[in-house]
Amino acid sequence: MLLQIKNLSARIGQKEILKGFNLDINAGEIHAIMGPNGTGKSTLASVLAGKPEYEVTSGEVWFQGKNLLEMSPDERAREGVFLAFQYPVEIPGVSTTNFMKAAVNAKRKHQGLTPMDAKDFLKMMTDKRAIVELSKEFTSRSLNQGFSGGEKKRNEIFQMAMLEPTLAVLDETDSGLDIDALRIVAEGVNKLRTADNAFLVITHYQRLLNYIVPDHVHVMYGGRIVKSGGKDLALQLEEKGYDWIKEEFADLVG
Amino acid sequence: MSDIQQQFEAIEHTPFRQVREDAFRAFEKLGIPSSRHEEWKYTNIKAKLSKEFTFTPQESEVNKSVKAYISSLPAYAFRMVFLNGVFQSSMSIIPDLKGLTISSLKEAFSAHQELIEKHYGKLIDNNEEHFAALNTAFVNDGAFIHVSRNVNIEEPIFLHYFFTAGEAEAFTQTRNLVIAEEGASIQLAEDFRNASNIGVQYNHVSEVYVGKNAQVNVAKLQTETKNVIGIHTMEAQVDTDARFYSTTITFEANVIRNNATARLVGRNAHADLSGLYFAKDTAHIDTHILIDHVAPDCTSHQLYKGVLNDQATGIFNGKIFVKPDAQKTNAFQSSKALLLSPEASVNSKPQLEIFADDVKCSHGAAIGQLSAVDMFYMLSRGIPEEQAKQLLTYAFAHEVVEKIQSKPLRQHLCDKLKEALNLQL
Repeated sequence: MLLQIKNLSARIGQKEILKGFNLDINAGEIHAIMGPNGTGKSTLASVLAGKPEYEVTSGEVWFQGKNLLEMSPDERAREGVFLAFQYPVEIPGVSTTNFMKAAVNAKRKHQGLTPMDAKDFLKMMTDKRAIVELSKEFTSRSLNQGFSGGEKKRNEIFQMAMLEPTLAVLDETDSGLDIDALRIVAEGVNKLRTADNAFLVITHYQRLLNYIVPDHVHVMYGGRIVKSGGKDLALQLEEKGYDWIKEEFADLVG
Repeated sequence: MSDIQQQFEAIEHTPFRQVREDAFRAFEKLGIPSSRHEEWKYTNIKAKLSKEFTFTPQESEVNKSVKAYISSLPAYAFRMVFLNGVFQSSMSIIPDLKGLTISSLKEAFSAHQELIEKHYGKLIDNNEEHFAALNTAFVNDGAFIHVSRNVNIEEPIFLHYFFTAGEAEAFTQTRNLVIAEEGASIQLAEDFRNASNIGVQYNHVSEVYVGKNAQVNVAKLQTETKNVIGIHTMEAQVDTDARFYSTTITFEANVIRNNATARLVGRNAHADLSGLYFAKDTAHIDTHILIDHVAPDCTSHQLYKGVLNDQATGIFNGKIFVKPDAQKTNAFQSSKALLLSPEASVNSKPQLEIFADDVKCSHGAAIGQLSAVDMFYMLSRGIPEEQAKQLLTYAFAHEVVEKIQSKPLRQHLCDKLKEALNLQL
């Protein structure tokens, strides 16, 4: 098993958001997590990535047999966890190229490899840019600065392509995307899919799942998974909305 | 004062005896300011400087460090080298170019008497500015640069000021006079360097005239100023439709005081002043800016940033004066400091005095740590914490370096910044 989340609870401040969350992901799988706003989907992504504001109060997360919760955020990333941000950060003064050089070489060092030579690195950049149709100009510019919403999300997928994670968590990557950007992002994910990696796609809407076809769909409500199924579950949610979930599991919130 | 009087009597006064005399009398009244003086409140310069001063230029050999540095320089078109305030013509490169005069100030005193009489010492106020008065009284030498009407000089002119410690009391007085006539443009890079391992003290004054529709860019480099006590005063007068840009970069120092004044005296003039300091150990970097909007329709922009480590201290005092006639002024000031150590400190004081009613003035000051959101983004890509801090600090500082006009110089400073941050990419 690639990722095993057991009875995970977490809070921000005094507010308990994850309440006994369980999920198993195998290599080669794509899992989608759907659910109404405020049910803890993004918190799950943040906790997996190690965002410091969140405090894990109980439970375990095992990633490739290692205790993920004991690792610092940067260690998790070097071990192969990647979070595509819902709101990618703009950092004027650091180019995407330099950002990626630092990240790729940190990972290589962790794997006992020497830093990539400049020529190989540039070739890799060119190849990976092609996956999300980003022009060269974007990677020489300051990280996400002045990028449109779609460009920022494509940049996230580009970074994912560069870092070749074993587990990629996409936190509402589809939010704010027009149909073309959505297609580019989804195709990027499909191209990166292998038998050895896995994706956890967090989304509010079903439309992304027209492009990225999940093996499993989970509905999250009140800080845990309340329903799991195949891709048909997503279609059912699209059709019926979330109200029936809210009614059925009303006792989980409040 | 008797000693300083004797020294004053002993120096060679020709041909500007009267100017020196007046300045000396003014300085005698002012003295070296103590921290009781409002403008020197946070910088006790009296306690930092030596008790006695020697103003005679130190006879010094060009040492290995100076030679090595000069030979490492790319083939710039223009270069003047000064060692302890003495012009080194053999190391300088001054091509003969129509419409451009580059000479030592001493030479200019006799060769360009008319221009000197009209401009020299006219932008500073000896009765108010202690160190400008002292400089005028005891000036060793410096650069005289004149660009004729409508002459545009593309290549930057480098002015290298080297200091090698001689006597502990040596207090070198260097001075520039820069005149850009109507429609002219010019770029200067003033580079101040301690070429010894021990302490040096100097006092530098620049007067800059930016004529109608002229443009002057000044990059002031204080990147090799370890153990330096340096006082800088720059006064620029910016005429109608003219543009003045100044960027000061300070990397290490004992004490650096940067005074800069831009006086916008003609309609539609623009001044853009910026600075970056990177202070560590017990470095003390004090910046005092005055933008004086005298004429209407002028714009000014200030961007000052500091990065402080260890027990370093930074001071930013930024004044914007808008005089009664300066309607439609648009003035902006931003000062930001990044504190990387709990023991570092910053004092920031914006000061706006507005006497016109139809103006736009804004300022912002921020003192803080690196953004946690940015930091997490870096970490989430596997970049180790230490390197993430270096990258974000680089990003913070970089904005100011970007303002340097000359591309090779900008690149050089980016490299220096990476080196200072120990950032490897």
